[in-house]
Amino acid sequence: MTEMQDAILAVRGLKVDFSTPDGTVEAVKGIDLDVRSGETLAVVGESGSGKSQTMMGIMGLLANNGTVTGSALYRGQELVGLPPKALNRVRGSKITMIFQEPMTSLDPLYTIGRQIAEPIVHHRGGTFKGARKRVLELLELVGIPEAQRRIDSYPHELSGGQRQRVMIAMALANEPDILIADEPTTALDVTIQAQILDLLKALQTRFGMAIVLITHDLGIVKHFAERVAVMRRGEVVEQGTTADIFERPEADYTRMLLEAEPSGHKAPPPDNAPIILEGRNVGVDYTIPGGLFRGASTAFRAVDGVSLRLRQGQTIGIVGESGSGKSTLGRALLRLLPSSGYYRFGSTDISGFDRGAMRPLRRQLQLVFQDPYGSLSPRRTVGEIITEGLHVHEPDLSRADRDRRAIAALKEVGLDPASRNRYPHEFSGGQRQRIAIARAIILKPKVVILDEPTSALDRSVQGQVIALLRDLQEKHGLSYIFISHDLSVVKAMSDYVIVMKNGRIVEEGETDAIFKAPREPYTKTLIGAAFNV
Amino acid sequence: MISFILRRLASAVPTLFIVVTLSFFLMRFAPGGPFNLERPLPPSTMENLMRTYHLDQPLWRQYVHYLSNAVTGDFGPSYIYHDNNVAQLIGKGLPYSMELGFYALLLAVVGGVITGTIAALKQNSFLDFAVMSVSTIGVTVPNFVVGPVLTLIFAIMLAWLPAGGWGDGSLRFLILPMIALALPQLAVFARLTRGSMIEALHTDHIRTAKAYGLPSRAVVVTHAMRGAMLPVVSYLAPCAAALLTGSAVVETIFTIPGVGRYFVLGAINRDYTLVMGTVILIAIFVILFNLLVDILYGLLDPRVRHD
Amino acid sequence: MTDIAQIPASAPETRGRSLFQLAALRFRRNRPAMAGCVMLVLIGLFSFVGPLFSPHSYDQVFPSYVTIGPSLEPRPDSSTLQGVMEGVASRARVRLTEFAVEDQSFTATVTSDAPIDPRATRYFDRANEFENTKVVATEGDGRTLKVEGDVAREYFPFGTDSNGRDLLVRVMLGGQISIAVGLLASLVSLGIGVLYGATSGYIGGRVDNVMMRFVEILYSLPFVFLVVVLVVFFGRSFILIFLVIGAVEWLDMARIVRGQTLALKRREFVGAAQALGLTDWQIIRRHIIPNTIGPVIVFVTVVVPKVILLESFLSFLGLGVQAPLTSWGALISEGANNIQSAPWLLIFPAIFFVLTLFSLNFVGDGLRDALDPKDR
Repeated sequence: MTEMQDAILAVRGLKVDFSTPDGTVEAVKGIDLDVRSGETLAVVGESGSGKSQTMMGIMGLLANNGTVTGSALYRGQELVGLPPKALNRVRGSKITMIFQEPMTSLDPLYTIGRQIAEPIVHHRGGTFKGARKRVLELLELVGIPEAQRRIDSYPHELSGGQRQRVMIAMALANEPDILIADEPTTALDVTIQAQILDLLKALQTRFGMAIVLITHDLGIVKHFAERVAVMRRGEVVEQGTTADIFERPEADYTRMLLEAEPSGHKAPPPDNAPIILEGRNVGVDYTIPGGLFRGASTAFRAVDGVSLRLRQGQTIGIVGESGSGKSTLGRALLRLLPSSGYYRFGSTDISGFDRGAMRPLRRQLQLVFQDPYGSLSPRRTVGEIITEGLHVHEPDLSRADRDRRAIAALKEVGLDPASRNRYPHEFSGGQRQRIAIARAIILKPKVVILDEPTSALDRSVQGQVIALLRDLQEKHGLSYIFISHDLSVVKAMSDYVIVMKNGRIVEEGETDAIFKAPREPYTKTLIGAAFNV
Repeated sequence: MISFILRRLASAVPTLFIVVTLSFFLMRFAPGGPFNLERPLPPSTMENLMRTYHLDQPLWRQYVHYLSNAVTGDFGPSYIYHDNNVAQLIGKGLPYSMELGFYALLLAVVGGVITGTIAALKQNSFLDFAVMSVSTIGVTVPNFVVGPVLTLIFAIMLAWLPAGGWGDGSLRFLILPMIALALPQLAVFARLTRGSMIEALHTDHIRTAKAYGLPSRAVVVTHAMRGAMLPVVSYLAPCAAALLTGSAVVETIFTIPGVGRYFVLGAINRDYTLVMGTVILIAIFVILFNLLVDILYGLLDPRVRHD
Repeated sequence: MTDIAQIPASAPETRGRSLFQLAALRFRRNRPAMAGCVMLVLIGLFSFVGPLFSPHSYDQVFPSYVTIGPSLEPRPDSSTLQGVMEGVASRARVRLTEFAVEDQSFTATVTSDAPIDPRATRYFDRANEFENTKVVATEGDGRTLKVEGDVAREYFPFGTDSNGRDLLVRVMLGGQISIAVGLLASLVSLGIGVLYGATSGYIGGRVDNVMMRFVEILYSLPFVFLVVVLVVFFGRSFILIFLVIGAVEWLDMARIVRGQTLALKRREFVGAAQALGLTDWQIIRRHIIPNTIGPVIVFVTVVVPKVILLESFLSFLGLGVQAPLTSWGALISEGANNIQSAPWLLIFPAIFFVLTLFSLNFVGDGLRDALDPKDR
C-alpha cells in the first residue's frame, strides 16, 4: 500500500491501439507501471515491444490513428482522456521528455535559445527576453561550453551530443517531477552516450526528479536504473529492482535478453596461416566538389595511412566512432572506391587494378552491409537477389543449377528455401541480414567484409546472426574484416582488433590484449563507455 | 549577402545570353518572315522593307547587330506595330500586366495558404475534402473556361461588373480578370500548402513542441507553418514571373492592353523583334524572381543562409 | 523466439507479393482513384468507340440544323416541318398546297404555273429533313405534283455547332485527339526525361554538372511561349504538336529521375551489386530503372493532364489541330466565343475535359498513395 502512495505516476490497464487499413493493431495491451518520486525506472524492450508507445499514449502524443485507453494517474490527476488544454499544463512543466533523435527533435528554423525559452514562457509567463538569463543558466548546467555564444546557434550548428544536451536543458527548464527519456543515447557515439547518461544522473541527484528511461540496451540499465520493467509485444513480462532482474530473472524472455549479450571468444588462426588480403598505407580522399561558379573543390582525408594484413581464417575487428573512416577503409580494401596505397590479394598485387580487372576477383571478396532494409533491392525476389552474383561469375550455370545453389545457400543461413520467391519487405530485419549473408556466401568467397552487420538488429537477433557468421567461418575457412562501433560484438567475433579515430589507427593488437590492457586513452574511454566500468 | 546577390546576377548574364541566342536562331531558321503576307508585296517594296530592317544582311551580322543594340536597351523596331519600337510597346503594356498580376498573385498566395492550412489542420474531414475538391477543379478548369463563365454570370446575367477593358483602372474592372488569373494558382498554392503542412505536422520537432505543452496556436503558427512555407516559397518564383508578365488568354478574353498578348501576336505575325523582346522580358523576370525567392528562403531557413 | 520461426511453414512454392502487387492492392482499395479509373475508361470508350455507333461523321454538315440546342427529341419535330417544306417549295419555285406528315413519311402536293420538272424532287432530298422523295401522281398536265417521301429524323443530343455539325461526334473526336496528344506527348517527355535524368545522375560529377546547368537554362526560357513559337513556325500538324509539347515537358521528368538515381546510387543494394562485380549497365538495368518506376508513373499522371491543358491552350490561341479535326481545347475555345448564344458549345466539351482531368488527378493521387514508400 505504501508503494502505491509513493507512486507519482500510476499506470493501470493502459492500452494503445492503432487502426490501420489491415485492421486494429494492439501496440500496448493493458499494462500496469508505477513511477515513484525521485527514482529511475527503466522500461526495456526490443523494437515493437510498445515501450515508446506507452509513454506517447500517456503524454497524448500518439499518431492520428492511435487511441489510448485505461488510466494514468499523475499525483491523482487522470491524464488519459484529458482535454489538450488541461494536458498542456502538465506536459513540459511537470512531465517532460527527451527523444532519440536530437537533430530532428529540435526545430531547425529557430535558435536553441528560443526553443529552450519556449516552455518557460508558455508555462511561467514572461517574455523571451526575460527568459534569456534562465536559458543561459540551463545551458551551463548541461555543460554547453560558451553558452553566451551558443545560445544564438541553430541546431544544425551543434554536434549530436550538444543537441541532446540542449534537449535536456529544455526538459529541465521548468524543474519537472518526471523526465521521460526515450532512447536518449541510441543515436550517439559510445563515448558521448556515457557523458549524456552521467549528466542525467548528476542532474537527477541535484533536482530530485524521477527518470523514466526507455531503452533496448540492457547494458545501460544495469548501472543507471533502480527498477526495471521488461516489455515484450505490448505487455510487461517482468518488473522489479535492477538487482533482482539481473540476478534472479523470472521470465524466460528476460533470461533470453540477458543471455543475448554477445559472449564467447575466437581463437586466432595458426601462425603459419597465409596472408590473404593486405593493404599497406591505405589513403582515401573525399572531395567536396565546387560548382561551375562556386570556386575550388575541397578535399578531406577519410582514411590516412592505414595498413593491415588479414590471414586465412582470421577475423580483424575494426572499431571506431562515426566518422572514423572504418567503413571507408573496408571499401578501399575491396577496391570499390579510388584510393592510394599498396594492395595484395593472395599473391596478386591488385594496387593498379581497375574495375574490369577486379571483376573476376569479386566473387572471392564479398561485402555485407549494416542496413538490411537498404541492402536488398526492394523490387527483386530473394532468389533473384542471392543468385545475382552467379550470373556474373558463373554465367554458364543452368537455371536449375542456380536454383539448387540458392536453395543450398538459404538452408545454410537458416532460411526456408521456399522463401526464395518472396520479396525482401516480407522479412524481418534479422531474416534480411541472413539473405544478405546468403548473397555473399553463394559465391564461395575467401574474404568477407562485414560492415556493421548486427548494428541495426535487436540484441536477441544479433546473437543469432553472430552465431551464424561464426559457423560459416568455421565451415568454409572464411576470413572476416568485422567493422563495428559495438565493442561487445567485436570482442566476441574477432581475434585481432584495430581501433580507428579520424582516419588513423590509434591502437591495434590481439583482442584479449586490447580489451584487458588498453594502452591508449582513447581506447580506454571507448571500452569504459561500452562496458560501463 | 551582397556578394551572394552579385554572384547570382553575374551568373545570370550567361544564362540570358544563351536564352537570347537560342531564341534568335530558332526563330530565324523557321520558314516564313514578317512580310510574307497573304497578298505578296511587290518585289521592290519587299526589298525596301528588308533593307530598312537589315533583314537582307547575313544572319550572323543581324545577330551581332541585335545583341549590340539590346545591350544598350534598344530592342529594335516592331515589324508590325510600325508606330512603336519594341521597348515602347513593352513599356506601355507592362504596367497593366504587372498591376493585374500583382493583385492576382496576392489573391493566389493569401487565399491558397489559408485554405491549404485549414485543410491540413482538419485532414480527412469534410472541410478538407471540400477544399481539395474545389482546388482540384481550380487546377483542372483552364482559365479560358473560367473567364467566359465569369463574364457570363457577373457581367452579362447579373451585370454587376464590366465585361472587360481597363476602364479607369479601378477595382471593378480588375476583379474578374484577377479571379480568372489567380484561380489556378490559388489551387496550386492550396494543394502545396496542405501537403507540406501535413508533412510538417508529422515531424519530430512538432512532437517536441506538443510534448512541452505549447498551445496549439504556437505549435501550428510558430513551428509547423514556418517549415511548411519553404516549398510554397519555392513555387513563388515561377508563379510570380508568370503572373506579372501577363497572360495571353486572360488579356485576350478581358481585352486588357497588357504585354501578355504581344507574345502570341508577335509569334503569329513573325514579328522577330517583338518576340525577342518578350522572351528577354520573361527570362529577366524568371531570373530575378528566382534570386528574390532564394534570398527569402535564406531568411526563412538558417540552414541555407547565403554569405 | 527466434526470427527463423516466423516464416510460415507454407507450401514449398509460395510466391511472395511484389511491391507492385501490394501497391495495386492498396490502389484498388482507394475508392476515388478507382472511380477515376472507371471514369477514364468510360471516357476513352466514348471517344474512341463512340463514333462507330454514330450515324454522323465528324465533318458532316447539316445546313438545316445550324447551332441548334441539345435535345433528346429527334429533329426535326413535326411542327417545324411545315415551315421547312415551304422553304423547300420556294427554292424549287413551286407552291405548296398540301402537306401532311404521318409517322416517318410525308405527303405533299405542289403546284406551279408551268409544268413541273419531276426532277424537282431533288430539292426535297437536298433538305436534311427529307429523303427518298418520289413522285406518286402528276395532275393537271404536270402542273400539280403529288410527292411522297420519308422524313429523315436526326438525333443531336448535344446539339450542333455553328457549322451545323453534330457536337456529340465532335466531342468524341476532340476526345480522341486530346487523349492521344496527352499520351503521346507524355511518352515523348518520359523517353527524353528518363534517359537524360538517369544518365546525368548515374555518371555524376562534371557531366552531371553541365547537363543540369543546361536544364536550368532551359527552365528560364518561357516555355509555353516557346511552344507557341515552334508551332507557329513549323506548322500545325498533329504529330508536331505532341512532339513539341513532349520536347518541352521533359525537364521536370529529367529532374525527378536524376534525383531518384542519385538517391539510389547511395543505397546499399547498389553498393552490393558493385561488390558482386556487376557492370554499370547491369546495375542501371536491374537496380536503378526498376526502382525509379514508382515516382515516374506518378509523375506521368501529372504530365498527361498538363499536356492536355497545354494543347487546349494552343487550340484556344488558334494554334491547335486544323479544322475539320478538333480537340477539346478547340471546342471549348469555340464555345467560349459563343457563350451567350449557344452555351452548350462550351458546356459539353468542358464537362468531358474537366471530368478527364479530374479523374486523372484522383488516379494520380491514388497512385502516389499506393506507391509511396513512407506508407510501408
